[in-house]
Amino acid sequence: MDLDFTAEDRQFREDARAWLMANVTREPRPHEGRELREYDLAWQRKQYEGGWAGVSWPVEYGGLGLSLTRQLIWFEEYARAEAPDNHLCFVGLNHAGPTLIAKGSEEQKAYHLPRLLKGETVWCQGFSEPNAGSDLGSLRTKAEIDGDHLVVNGSKIWTSHGHLADFQELLVRTDPDAPKHKGISWVICDMTTPGMDLRPINIMTAPHHQHFVQVFYDDVRIPLSNVVGDLNDGWKVAMSTLGFERGTAQIKDQIRYAVLVERMIEEARARFGGNSPLSKDEIGSRLAQLRADMAAARAMTYMVVSRAQAGIQGSEASLMRAMVGEVQQRARRLALDIIGPDALENPEDDDRVFYYLRSYSITIAAGTAEVQRNIIGERVLGLPRG
Amino acid sequence: MDLLPNDEQTAIVDAVKEFLVGEAPVDRLRAHGEVGNPDAALWPRLGELGFLGLGIAEAQGGAGLSSAEEVLAFREYGRHLISPAILALTLAARVASAAGLLAAPELLAGTMRAGLANQRGPADLRAGTGVFHLIEAKGAELIVAWDEDGAALFRRDDFTIEPVRSTDALVSLERGTLSGAQPLAYLSAADDAIHDRARLLIAALAAGTAEGARDMAVDYAKVREQFGKPIGSFQAVKHRCAEMAIRTEAAWSLTAFASLAFALGREDSAFMATSAKIVATDAALKNGASNIQVHGAIGFTSEADAHHYLKRAHLLDQLGGDLRRQRERLLDMPSAL
Repeated sequence: MDLDFTAEDRQFREDARAWLMANVTREPRPHEGRELREYDLAWQRKQYEGGWAGVSWPVEYGGLGLSLTRQLIWFEEYARAEAPDNHLCFVGLNHAGPTLIAKGSEEQKAYHLPRLLKGETVWCQGFSEPNAGSDLGSLRTKAEIDGDHLVVNGSKIWTSHGHLADFQELLVRTDPDAPKHKGISWVICDMTTPGMDLRPINIMTAPHHQHFVQVFYDDVRIPLSNVVGDLNDGWKVAMSTLGFERGTAQIKDQIRYAVLVERMIEEARARFGGNSPLSKDEIGSRLAQLRADMAAARAMTYMVVSRAQAGIQGSEASLMRAMVGEVQQRARRLALDIIGPDALENPEDDDRVFYYLRSYSITIAAGTAEVQRNIIGERVLGLPRG
Repeated sequence: MDLLPNDEQTAIVDAVKEFLVGEAPVDRLRAHGEVGNPDAALWPRLGELGFLGLGIAEAQGGAGLSSAEEVLAFREYGRHLISPAILALTLAARVASAAGLLAAPELLAGTMRAGLANQRGPADLRAGTGVFHLIEAKGAELIVAWDEDGAALFRRDDFTIEPVRSTDALVSLERGTLSGAQPLAYLSAADDAIHDRARLLIAALAAGTAEGARDMAVDYAKVREQFGKPIGSFQAVKHRCAEMAIRTEAAWSLTAFASLAFALGREDSAFMATSAKIVATDAALKNGASNIQVHGAIGFTSEADAHHYLKRAHLLDQLGGDLRRQRERLLDMPSAL
């Protein structure tokens, strides 16, 4: 056990901090639309030009090729500097990019990876379907081979920012006769391909907030050369990148939320400080518990990274994910309780209500809290399947 | 950065585990009876193995290791519901060693007994006044007390003692009053942050207790059948067990992190130690309760061990100030980002 960083790591931290201090944009981040796309890509481009994009990505594709520890340090400093969360780049940088690094062909890597790091392309996900959510393996969108193309028919749903994306990581059924996890392929889908129809889905944050699209595929022709990994091996391809950052990307979120809690404490002191000490207040007690839980979330993330460094494979990262989902929701709720009756107002220029409502997605996206708990019960604790 | 034990630390953990599995399985408590604690016999043997002075400098007769090694051992003590006298011995040896008391070698050897004085009202340790609960102090020569300003060693004879019945019947409990007793030794928090060390050791005991309760519940959920299936296959029970596992992961990860921050003397060490005590005792309390629920009716009886984990969790929560007091303290600290 140690919390040591080498002299070179500490220098890297200093350099990262100095660069972020000088370069983090303070313009507020738009909530939606083309402005959001331009904002997120511009910030990614700035990081690339500053020499900070893809810290642990291979050098030959524009990354820095550094260790997990450096990646962790970069994300810590990124969050401490309160740099914007460029969520439009999330699927590309944390999902599609790592998938290509692990399983892509040389042509696929050479084309896509530099564009991702440079902030030129936005990716979206095409995994869930109306009848395949938590039970992803039951997906039915089919792709038939026709010459050197796949012909795709079906529908995908819950595609975040699909209307702003250039490419989609698409899971399709290429062998309907194989067992459910065996007949799936992972395909790069260009969002401008003819035959795709996008239906916007607004989310609960405000009546006009578009976030998702549902995509309908009607004889959409995708070159076979866009299949990543082997045909019918898409399930394994999708699983290969889960945990590519091996927890390091999570530290960004843990620190971002810890900063949020500190801001909430300052605000609560300003609002309630006059009468009795905050520590005697119910709000104060909940803030203190959150402070402790945020420290725990950070330590749990370090534990995940420690296991990854030691080459320990397992499902233990689910423990951290389950914990932080609940804690983050609790933080967003408490932010509302601090402002009291003003929580009934949802203005464009105040994020509190927006992010409170948004927090309901945390325990659903990328595996519901219930699926997490099944994984913990069965794969970590060895309890029998139901 | 690495929160997993290195080879040397793993060797220490393995040695403690091997000793406890052989000499202190949890069912020793049932064999012993419902009142009192059989663990006093363990102290000389732990002393012989060098475990009572893990965090004390070699020059003072200890092993010269850090709070990281101490919490690794205390986590195992917690798992085995070892008497909290282990905390008394560790803290008393620290105060005695710093003061150069003749009792120090005996405490390190486990041949002298020590108990805890936990505040239950106002106290002034330097002035030797205050009202306390004396924990595992029957038959102990020395009693250690601590607060935010420092730690003090008293003789048992310094206290006016009134017997009470202990909620955790495996632990001896008395009320004790000090009315102007001169401490045998006093260690100022300015010289040694013993209050934060105590928080870490209690957090480690609580993390281990929470893990013991989780394991007991999970083992039972795998074998107990209802409706023709092991109850652990039902999501209602499986998810309860998963919650127990999430809490133990939080408790231990944070305790490990905090012990390292403390050993390095980092600026955030007090913040982390306080956070660790909060998260770990909360985990022990909730896992203690969940373990009883998973066991159903047998969990509510004194014939099963489940109740011991819950009662021990309440005791650990009260040591050095309960969740409410720890939260108040944490809120008053500067940010540790």
